[in-house]
Amino acid sequence: MHLDAAAFSQILNRALGAGEYADAFYERRLARTFRLQDGKIHEAGVSLVRGVGIRTIAGERTGYAYTDDLSMETLLRTARVSALIARDGAARVDSVELSGEAREAPEMYAAGTLDSGAESATYVDLLARADVAARAFDPRIGTVNAFVSDETQEVVIATSEGLFVRDRRPLVALGVQCVANGSVRGNGFQGDGGRASIDFFATRTPEEIARESARIASVNCEAREAPAGEFEVVVGAGSGGVLLHEAVGHGLEGDFNRHGTSLYSGRVGERVASELVSIYDDGNLHGERGSLAVDDEGTPGQHKVLVERGVLRGYMQDRLNAGLMGVTSTGSGRRQSFRVLPQPRMCNTYMPPGESTYDEIIGSVKKGIFAASFAGGQVEISKGDFVFMLAEGYLIENGKLTTPIRGASLTGNGPEIMNRVTMVGNDARLAGRYYTCGKGGQYVPVGVGMPTVKLSRVTVGGSAVA
Amino acid sequence: MPEALELAGFAVAEALAAGATQAEATCTVAERFSAEARGPRIEKLEQSTGRALSLRVFVGGAKAALGTSDLTRDGLRACVRQVVDAARFVADDPHAGLPESIAEADEGEGLGLYADDVARRAAEEKLEDALRLEAAVREYDPRIVNSSGARVADTQARVSLVNSLGFRGSYRASSAQRSVGPIAQDGANKRVAGYGTAARGYAALESTESVATTAAARAVEMCGARKPQTMRCPVIFERDVAAQVLSDIFSALNAANVAAGNSFLAGKIGERVGSEFATLVDDGRLPGALGTSPFDSEGVPTRRTVVLERGILQTYLYDTYNGRRLGAASTGNASGGGIGPNNFYLEPGPDSLEELIASTSRGVLILDTIGFSTESVTGTYSRGARGFAIENGERAYPIDEFTIAGNLLEMLAGIDRVASDLVFDSSIVAPSFRVAEMTVSGT
Repeated sequence: MHLDAAAFSQILNRALGAGEYADAFYERRLARTFRLQDGKIHEAGVSLVRGVGIRTIAGERTGYAYTDDLSMETLLRTARVSALIARDGAARVDSVELSGEAREAPEMYAAGTLDSGAESATYVDLLARADVAARAFDPRIGTVNAFVSDETQEVVIATSEGLFVRDRRPLVALGVQCVANGSVRGNGFQGDGGRASIDFFATRTPEEIARESARIASVNCEAREAPAGEFEVVVGAGSGGVLLHEAVGHGLEGDFNRHGTSLYSGRVGERVASELVSIYDDGNLHGERGSLAVDDEGTPGQHKVLVERGVLRGYMQDRLNAGLMGVTSTGSGRRQSFRVLPQPRMCNTYMPPGESTYDEIIGSVKKGIFAASFAGGQVEISKGDFVFMLAEGYLIENGKLTTPIRGASLTGNGPEIMNRVTMVGNDARLAGRYYTCGKGGQYVPVGVGMPTVKLSRVTVGGSAVA
Repeated sequence: MPEALELAGFAVAEALAAGATQAEATCTVAERFSAEARGPRIEKLEQSTGRALSLRVFVGGAKAALGTSDLTRDGLRACVRQVVDAARFVADDPHAGLPESIAEADEGEGLGLYADDVARRAAEEKLEDALRLEAAVREYDPRIVNSSGARVADTQARVSLVNSLGFRGSYRASSAQRSVGPIAQDGANKRVAGYGTAARGYAALESTESVATTAAARAVEMCGARKPQTMRCPVIFERDVAAQVLSDIFSALNAANVAAGNSFLAGKIGERVGSEFATLVDDGRLPGALGTSPFDSEGVPTRRTVVLERGILQTYLYDTYNGRRLGAASTGNASGGGIGPNNFYLEPGPDSLEELIASTSRGVLILDTIGFSTESVTGTYSRGARGFAIENGERAYPIDEFTIAGNLLEMLAGIDRVASDLVFDSSIVAPSFRVAEMTVSGT
């Protein structure tokens, strides 16, 4: 990259105009993907995202412009457009002077393989192994689709406050979708990966991932339609963390709270959940999908206590919202690419373990639902209403798992549901690493985790009315 | 813009030089403007020119795809070599390759793709629009105490496509939109609603006053919402939500999903899969509509395709590859390496939404849903929702925190009334419609 300290200084001086802060975000993200379908490699893909985003902040106003043309002439023109937001005021004269090389972000990931060139044959072999393992699991498996992706994102962040930092972030993922033909066609999906090289799959094998996907498809092909109405619900360890992410996490993002549009606005120090509930967000878990050595504004990733024994402790902040709320950034400023502005976002969101065993929790339910895993979820942050889509579920009858159920969403209200947590398991773990979070049209990789948790009452949106 | 055509041509030539037997490149150059107001000030102002090139290469029957924003000659050459190398690891597929027939390049004259008021309208006026939207929702009702912001945005793009069989085509398109998200205070609860308008240019947009009034009314009317009872009843989908249902149905009509065994409509051509009120059309040539273009992402001319005629499944929607797999011609639905809608819509009926409500003695009106489909194979449908309980043909009270559930096939078969309120403000649109019976899960 030809953009050195002098070039960034020039860009920032132009962008600052009459604003109080400016930053420039350079990104080069190279990704390779292979897809398998019908037992064969169906398609290969290469993606390169490269460009610079320039931002100017003046009070509550933000100006923004980006370019994929890295000529100095275009970069300076882009910086001028960014500064338009702050034109009413006296421009400062060349106040930014960066020097030397960009500082390297702390080590937080296993090194990526991509630029050193993993062989295409490596990816192809992983997919072929997944296909064989999925089909061998159950003869009813009729369809296997799988993908593997490997990317390295290099970012350089330079700010008018003198920050000049570089981070190189690897990210691998392997996912397997299976369809099993039983009394109905059952769908299964499982994925894993993280901020690691493709060597990740030497220990977490494609066979394991494929068998788990096939197992879920096999369960779902004999599943019955889910019931409709309110039930006691046990949420399974791991992907149950989607519940925290949706029902609470988004509502604690700084932008919604600065604007007062979140139901959690102005409630730090208040009880917002059962005292069994603690929730953390952590950017510092080595190699996890949502981890960041520095965020997309150059702030180091952190461990954040969001809720502690039911009491709201703090929000997740990017630079802009932290500044306007008089606090400091929590290293939560993330952006999908150089084409969009950073937003406060989650990294890896999880609940620490409680004291009950899984058997105690399931055994305590006379009639209810076990939501073993979730395919995803969504929340409306102002009132806190959410849904979660079940990927694998069962009826619980007299303390035992019985019939598998399919096709249900769980719905409710975030704070209400968090007050209905009545048991927390000792089996906390992170989910398979394939979750991606969308907000305002921007998608970023995240991690979620949770122990087994019992909720006293949730609306289950199946189609079978008792 | 000759530069973009030239870049696309360069990428195709490089691909052939690197060993590809066929190649196709699309270069898109887009100027984007976006302004967001909150309260009395513009909080965000964004203006950029973005360029991107996508390339498909074939080495015999093996295909690989590239997307890049590095449009320097050296950068492009390096990427093109990588993607051609990757294609060598892909299995040979007899159906892969460019479309056989090369259409005369059509620039989209007469399709109303470009409105020059997007370029003509001054930035100050666009900012003023955003500020007026914010002010108008707050003036509408004292309960509207906040907003997630008002947004005015537009784009002007030039799309240029070149393939190694000799196709060279280019067209210019624009779009503009206004939206706002007022928040009403309802006791301890906040009620957010969003509403927007989109078109090829500013002249075709709904006025700021009308957008603000609709958005504000939606936020206020949800005050006091409660959970409905669990029941089976008729469900009316208001047009924005109706379009979301159509989007799930589109997935099942996507020939790639049909071929992969991921569609509940697989193997049903010629069969009755919907009620007589269900006529679904994909039309790539509706003048001024947002999904219109002269040719698809493979250079195949767009056209009008009747997909479901009075409930009978006529065809799936194909690109060249999936057409060959399933023995059909492309319907001009290639989009970004897959299959996408042009203007995909449900034919409107004769009635207003109010008449649909008036003809429903007990049911629910759905104004918004959250969640997404996870069971394309079975068509199982389950969503979080909010809207109104309908009693004796009237909106009785607002309801939220419930789900509606059913199966998309049963929903298609259950459409018993369709309203006339169709607006082409997106590439998948629908008028409001009623489904005879679904499951509502509440208390």
